Amino acid sequence: MADTSSRPRAARMISTVGRQGLLLVLTLAFLGPVVWAILSAFKPANSIIRNPLSIDVSQFTLANFAEMFHDVPIAHGFLNTGIVLVVKGSMTLFFAPLAAYAFAKFRFLGKNLLFGAVLITLMLPTIVLIIPLLLEMKELGWVNTYQALILPGSIDAFAIFWMRQVIEVVPDELLDAARVDGCGEFRVFWSIVVPVIRPGLAGLAVLTVMNIYNDFVWPVVAASSSRMATLQVMLSTLSQQITGNKIGADYATVTGELLAASSVALIPLLIIFIALQKHFINGILAGSVKG
Amino acid sequence: MAEMMITDHNPALIRRSRWRQLRAKTLAPYVFVLPFVAIFLAFSVYPMLFTLRLSFTRWHGSGAATWVGFGNYTYLLTNPSFWASMANSGILWLLIVPAQIIVALVVAVLLNSAKTRLRGFYRTAFIVPFVTPLVAIAQIWVVLFDQNYGAINAGLNLLGLPNIGWLTTSAWAKPTLALLFAWKTTGFIIIILLSGLQSINAAVYEAASIDGATPYRQFWQITVPLVRRTMMFAVVLQTLAVFQMFAEPFVVTQGGPYGSTTTAGYYLYNHITRADLGTGAANSFLLIIFVMALSLGFVRLLRAKD
Repeated sequence: MADTSSRPRAARMISTVGRQGLLLVLTLAFLGPVVWAILSAFKPANSIIRNPLSIDVSQFTLANFAEMFHDVPIAHGFLNTGIVLVVKGSMTLFFAPLAAYAFAKFRFLGKNLLFGAVLITLMLPTIVLIIPLLLEMKELGWVNTYQALILPGSIDAFAIFWMRQVIEVVPDELLDAARVDGCGEFRVFWSIVVPVIRPGLAGLAVLTVMNIYNDFVWPVVAASSSRMATLQVMLSTLSQQITGNKIGADYATVTGELLAASSVALIPLLIIFIALQKHFINGILAGSVKG
Repeated sequence: MAEMMITDHNPALIRRSRWRQLRAKTLAPYVFVLPFVAIFLAFSVYPMLFTLRLSFTRWHGSGAATWVGFGNYTYLLTNPSFWASMANSGILWLLIVPAQIIVALVVAVLLNSAKTRLRGFYRTAFIVPFVTPLVAIAQIWVVLFDQNYGAINAGLNLLGLPNIGWLTTSAWAKPTLALLFAWKTTGFIIIILLSGLQSINAAVYEAASIDGATPYRQFWQITVPLVRRTMMFAVVLQTLAVFQMFAEPFVVTQGGPYGSTTTAGYYLYNHITRADLGTGAANSFLLIIFVMALSLGFVRLLRAKD
């Protein structure tokens, strides 16, 4: 670093330009498809396929969105996703830190065995569980129900693993002081641990919302009926739905509605991400690295 | 109760409440982990055991299952389509992971350097694909890479190049899915590597600079060795993810053309659509064994070099 001042100014300029140029190209590549899709969704359907690269703001229309809302029960998909999000998300956000508190701050018989269970759940590839779980759901008669969407994986192992690291650094003196004051163990958790780890919990909340909102593999297997389909499941078979429901739907119409639906599905997460990106990035960082 | 404890000096009372607290402290952890354990037993252990038994039977979702011993396993292991699905995932791995790790490392180094401007902006921009729903992105890919009406081919035409059947030819379908996967996850890898870089003590670089090491040498002799652990961790994560790849072929190519994008994950799912659940169960276990062995192999590699 010290030697940069002795380097010729031209060389430094080239290095700066090259570095910014590379990063700028990558930015275009990473944001391009999303921006293109959202802007194109506002174009007349015919223009999307005839001039995919042109953007003419004066021609912008909401027609694709209007037709999409008319042809596809996407509001119902949002409702299903919302229900799963609230119930499943609350379960992870409450029970995972609670279990993590036990793993971080108590010594008890079977602790290592149970934490091993957390690690196994963490490492088990999601996809290999879908057939076992589907069979169980069939046995219980839970296929195409909210229980099936919510209960499996409702107390995320990764969340326990991560929150245990967060809670471990809470000073024991703080907890003991509360105990001396007569707090029960749950009160120690609720009134001492939870407020202290609030930044970590915020990261976990954002990550959990993202995971549940985007979840696809299990919902498409467990709840593929049109009544129970989550937003993502609905989106995955959108073209078939449109061509099935609409007589004479041509490629342009389907494409326009597809981009409208994809944008509608993208935008809520983009807003959450941009508003809470600090928590989010902290979430990924804190959680993933010490694996 | 809290006020009572402090004001009441009756020794018997204090002893009794201490004992109660002690008992609560022994019981509490069990109560706290109970919900997790219940969910774990009900939705991980039980289905896995049930499926282990099922993997030794022939069963199509109803009626009685017939015991076939290792029949499902030998059927799969001698079935070219099973190996084709593993090979497809293997090729996708080769197309994605090495290039992705290298690009991510270079970008992470740039984002870690104080000389780079707008670092926060770039970090945010690169993570956007990782945040957005995969299904929505996959649908956008379908539109972008359409052979006749897609924006990508329109761009090629502008440059005077011919249309490419990105999703309709078996030669291009895999690279197109690989690009989707890499586009979606590289930002995540950048963030992981960046945190690995940030844990390197700046004094190491200062010492190297004083000794006259060029930035290029610093990269190879300091940065790469010190983030190797983080890199291997990223490789393990991506390996697990590539072999589970499912939504991409499901939405974009339905496993085609000619099965060229039938990944290990998509092949597994096909047993469900064919209601061939015994074989599906056996396939689940084969995939677990394979992926676990691969991850352990990477961990070994990491340990051996340290």
